Amino acid sequence: MSPLRLAERLLQLIPVLLGISVIVFAMMALTPGDPVQIMLGDSLADQAQRDSLRRDMGLDLPVVERFFRFLGNALTGNFGLSFFHRRPVMDVILERLPATIELTLVAMLIAIAVAVPLGVIAAVKRNSLLDRIATVGSMLGVSMPGFWFGILLILLFAVNLHILPVSGRIGFGYEVKMATGFVLIDTLMAGRLDSFLDALRHMLLPAVTLGLAMSALLMRVTRTSMLEALSQDYVTFAEAKGLSRLRVVGRHALKNALIPTVTVAAIETGSLLGGNMIIETVFGWPGLGRLVVEAIFSRNYPLVQAAVLIYATTYVLLNFLADLLYTVLNPKVRL
Amino acid sequence: MSELLGIRGLRTTFPTRHGLVRAVDGVDLDVRPGECLGVVGESGSGKSVTFLSVLGLVRPPGRVEAEAITFLGRNLLSLAPTEIRAIRGRDIAVTMQDALTALNPAFTVETQIVETIEAHEPGIAKGEARARAIEMLRLVGIPDAERRLAAYPHQFSGGMRQRVMVAIALACRPKLLIADEPTTALDVTIQSQVLDLIDDMRSELGMSVVLITHDLGIVAERCDRVAVMYAGQVVETGPTAEVVASPIHPYTQGLLRSMPSLAHLDAPLVPIDGTVPDPTRLSDGCRFLPRCPHAVEACARPIALHAVSPDRAARCVLVEVAQ
Repeated sequence: MSPLRLAERLLQLIPVLLGISVIVFAMMALTPGDPVQIMLGDSLADQAQRDSLRRDMGLDLPVVERFFRFLGNALTGNFGLSFFHRRPVMDVILERLPATIELTLVAMLIAIAVAVPLGVIAAVKRNSLLDRIATVGSMLGVSMPGFWFGILLILLFAVNLHILPVSGRIGFGYEVKMATGFVLIDTLMAGRLDSFLDALRHMLLPAVTLGLAMSALLMRVTRTSMLEALSQDYVTFAEAKGLSRLRVVGRHALKNALIPTVTVAAIETGSLLGGNMIIETVFGWPGLGRLVVEAIFSRNYPLVQAAVLIYATTYVLLNFLADLLYTVLNPKVRL
Repeated sequence: MSELLGIRGLRTTFPTRHGLVRAVDGVDLDVRPGECLGVVGESGSGKSVTFLSVLGLVRPPGRVEAEAITFLGRNLLSLAPTEIRAIRGRDIAVTMQDALTALNPAFTVETQIVETIEAHEPGIAKGEARARAIEMLRLVGIPDAERRLAAYPHQFSGGMRQRVMVAIALACRPKLLIADEPTTALDVTIQSQVLDLIDDMRSELGMSVVLITHDLGIVAERCDRVAVMYAGQVVETGPTAEVVASPIHPYTQGLLRSMPSLAHLDAPLVPIDGTVPDPTRLSDGCRFLPRCPHAVEACARPIALHAVSPDRAARCVLVEVAQ
């Protein structure tokens, strides 16, 4: 894709993001309840103090002006103070975001590592026992609620077998100085293999739980697109050229079959990011998802607002990334 | 043994919901060294499946059975998968009807030529394989070959794409090229260019060509011998000139009558009445029986391919009677 076309595509994202910010702002503006009342709670502040706080927060301004203030602040990453933490919302979020990104990426890797080979084998050995098992398995994977499967895993591997930790991100004895915020990278950078392995053990159950539903979906997509690719003339022609079966399946069919798979994977990563609130809560994972759940229960509106905006923006950007990947994989498509 | 490829008693069947489809049913064919054999027939007559069967490219649940399929004296039926794979592309190459679907859209032309060369000459240097790829593109008349190597199939015009496919097929200098409807997907003006190219390559590489087509005109123009197929069987074979001048089988006669001729533009075209039989309900007798103007009672029993002269044969009762 030419840089110009890329810039054009990026510009097209602006109205989408603007729309999201309108919705997020409206969500807060329309929520019943007075933020000042929530902040001050049952404290003994008098009316003058309440009015002054209202002015400080800009809540006395007309709604349109408040929106543009919100937008301007949001662009600079300023989402106000977290009621609960008494610190800037962005600081609190940035502290938690790496844990969520790390978990999501590892879950995604697990999902791809499981789904693509299984989908390919299921397609190549269509209607075999293995294909049937994979199909039933993927149906189970899609329909099993993540929190329930997660709890089952905890019961089996942590409670009964004692081979994996119940929750958390890393054991107490293994903590290392955070540099990137990604614990798997930080432990390696610190040269602490023991810490790395401990972090990996903590990562395993939540990542598998999160990756399972995704891998089930990806496997279906891979199998279907692989079947489609295998029936194409170019596969027969590749075989007629005397190429090995591995090359015909693994290169000629797979590269074409991966086009839909990669697109779905990139889009699904967005929903993983947003959808891991439950998983993070079940596994006590100190990420953004759990932070948002806590914020919702404590009516910490600025934080919820910022998180929703971040989720939505990430989702939009991942969709954009999916489009980019699509053009890389499919030479016929030029954006 | 004079033939390059010999097919004896080939049967290819596909189980379907509506019953067993006998796509190829007892085909005997020979391809001689250096010749161009035309295989003519309507869609579904089993032309393509015959040669896919020879190369072991019929996909399950399709089944291939034959008394023998010999290539250069080796029985292809008894070969291991790796041995038959070594023959595909190196000794027997294939071009398909539509290069747009036969070439992989996700790979450059370079990848698709080079991988063929590498498959049959393991250990060949990357640069040498690339040089061979450029040479092949030049040979088939692609201008600016070196630059075009990096292009994807969709970036070529229809005719050029067909040439690319021919270049890939011929990259390992095969002894036999099976050209499956090489011109059907092309404009008339480009058709003859591609056929000329195949002719040139045949004399240049000294290979044999099987030209699969539904166009008897192309066969008459280009092929030394012809085999006419109908409903999964060969109904007539012989030197093209003789078959065209004096067709024996009523189906061949019908085909020729239904062809427009430049010499007799005002002569009416006579279509063959009726339709091709349902492939799941083929009779044991002559399959052309319901459409044949000369049908007699004896046509209902199995008919074998009878030699009329040392070089000609037809699957018809009339020949039997004459003998």
